[in-house]
Amino acid sequence: MMMTAPLLAFELKKLWRSRRPWMALAAIAFFLVLMLLGFWLYADKQTGGEAEFRYTFENESYFNGLTFTVYGFWFGFALLLPVFVTLEAAASLAGERDSGGLRLLLVRPVTRTRLFAVKWGVTMLFALALAGALLGACLLVGLVCVGFGDLTLYPGVLQMTDVYQRLPQGEALRRFLLVWPCAALLLMAPSALAMCVAAFTRSAVHAAGVALAIYLVLHVVAAVPFFQDLRPFLFTSQIGAWRELLHEDIDWARLGGEVLRALSVTCLLLGVALWRFRTGEER
Amino acid sequence: MSARIIETTNLGRRYGARVALHGLDLTVRAGQIVGIAGPNGAGKSTLLQVLAGLIRPSAGGARVFGLDPWRDRAAVMQRARFAFAPPGLWGTLTAREHVVALAAIGRSPVAAAEVDTTLALVGLLARADDRVVTFSFGMRQRLALAIALLPRPELLVLDEPAEGLDPLAVLELRAILRRLRDEHGVTLLLSSHLLLELDALVDHLVVLDQGAVLCAGAPSKLRGLRRVWLRVDDAVRAREVLATASVTCTADGDDALWLDAGADVSLITAQALLSPAGVTVHEYANRQPSLEQALLARLRAKGAQPA
Repeated sequence: MMMTAPLLAFELKKLWRSRRPWMALAAIAFFLVLMLLGFWLYADKQTGGEAEFRYTFENESYFNGLTFTVYGFWFGFALLLPVFVTLEAAASLAGERDSGGLRLLLVRPVTRTRLFAVKWGVTMLFALALAGALLGACLLVGLVCVGFGDLTLYPGVLQMTDVYQRLPQGEALRRFLLVWPCAALLLMAPSALAMCVAAFTRSAVHAAGVALAIYLVLHVVAAVPFFQDLRPFLFTSQIGAWRELLHEDIDWARLGGEVLRALSVTCLLLGVALWRFRTGEER
Repeated sequence: MSARIIETTNLGRRYGARVALHGLDLTVRAGQIVGIAGPNGAGKSTLLQVLAGLIRPSAGGARVFGLDPWRDRAAVMQRARFAFAPPGLWGTLTAREHVVALAAIGRSPVAAAEVDTTLALVGLLARADDRVVTFSFGMRQRLALAIALLPRPELLVLDEPAEGLDPLAVLELRAILRRLRDEHGVTLLLSSHLLLELDALVDHLVVLDQGAVLCAGAPSKLRGLRRVWLRVDDAVRAREVLATASVTCTADGDDALWLDAGADVSLITAQALLSPAGVTVHEYANRQPSLEQALLARLRAKGAQPA
C-alpha cells in the first residue's frame, strides 16, 4: 500500500487538474437543464399552457422530483457517464502513451501491473464520483424544481418495471443511496472496454471513439428483438440493472445475477487489457 | 576493474524488416561517462529503450546491474534513472509537483529541501510553482533532468540532454554531469547527435551507424592521427587532381580539404601535385581533426565500401 499511495495520489492529482471532471460536471448540468425544459414543455402541451414547474402534469403523486430523478439518472447514466468514464480511461492509458507520460512513469520503480491497477482504480473512483454527482444533481434539481412525493413507477414507461411500483418518499431516498454504488459498479464494464481498447492504441481519441462505438452498437443490438438471445451476454443489457433497487420488493437474486454477469465481462476485458499492457512495448 | 553496470551481448532489435540494432556489444563500467553517438536512425533511441525495459531485444541480451531490464524493469529503476527526449510531462502540473510525485513513486518521499536543491541545480527554482504548460522546450529538458536526479541514481541515462538548451545551460549541464560522476560516483550514459557535446564530456564514445557499432573508444583516439589540412582556391579541382594520384581526401567546407587518414602524402608532395594543375594552396596545417570531422570521414568511408 505504501508503494501504491504516491502513485495513486499522483494519478488523482492529474485527473483533478485535467479538464475532464469539469467538462463532465458541465455536461451533467446542461443535461439536467435540458431534461427540466423537456419535461416542462411536455407538461405545458398536455395542460394546454397551464403547466407549473411543480407537479406539472397527471398528479403530484405520479410525477414529482423523485420521478424526475429516476428518468434523469437513467438517461444520464446510460448516455453521459459511459462517455466521460470512457474518455478518462482512454486518456490515462492511450493518451499518456501518446504524450510520453506513460514512459516517464515506466522509468520509475513501479511494476506495470501496479501502474495498470492504479489507473483502473482512478477511473473507477471517477465513475463513482460522476454517478454520485449525477444522482445528487438529479435529486436536488428534481426535489427543488419539480417537487416532493412518493416514487411511483408504471409498467411500460422506459421499461422501469413490469408491474406497478410505489415507494414512500423516505424509502425511495434510501434506495437511491443503494443505486449509487450499484450504478458505479455497472459502469465498470464500459470503462473496462475503454481500458481494453486503450491498451492497444496510442491515441486517446481513437481509443475513446472505438470504445464508444462498440458500446453504442451493443446497445442497439441489445434493443433489437431479433438478437434477444444475445442479450444476457451483452454488458449493455445489464447496465440498467440498478433499476431493480427501485422496486417495492427487490429481487436480489436477479440483481446479483445481472451484476455478476457485468462483472464477468469486466474481468474478461480487464484481463485482456492487463495482458496487453504487461506485454506491449512502449516505443 | 570497476563493476559492469550495463552490458549488452550481440544485442539486436528489428522493427518488421527494418534492423534497428544489430550485434551490439557494449559495456559501461561504474563511474564512467559513456556517450552514444550516430546519425538519425543509427539505433541510439532503440538501444536506450531496450536498456530501460520499454522494448524487448529481438536477439542477444542486455543486462543493467546484472538484471534483465525487460523482466526486472522495476528493480532496475530502483537504481537507474532514464530521461528520454522529448520529455513526456503533464502541462497542468507544476515543476515541483512533477519532481515530488515522481521521486516518491516506489520509494519514500524526498525532503522538500532536496527538491529545492535539485530544482536550483537545473535553474528552475524560480519557476518551481509554475505549470509546465508555460515552460519552453529547454526548461522542460531541465525539468526532465531534475526528475531524473531525484532520488540520486547510481546510473543516469540521458537521451539528447543538451537538446534545446542555450550555450550557458549546456556549460552548466556539463558541470552538473561531471560533478555527479566525480563527487557522487554516478555512472552516466549519454545519447546525443551533438558530437561536440559528447567530445567535451565522455570518457568513452560509441558511434552507431545503421544499428551497429561503427567505432568506439576514447574521443581523443577516435579523432585519429594528425593529418594534413589544406585551404585552396579551388577545392573541387584539387580533389580531382589528388584523385588522379590516388590520394583520397575529405572536403572541409567549400575551400578546404583533409587528406584522408592513411594517405601517405606530405604537404610538399601535395603542393607538387596541385601547383602544376593551377591550384593555389593558401593555408595549410598538420593537425588532429575534430571528432565530427573524424567520424564524418569514417561514415563516408563506410558508405563508399561495397555492401
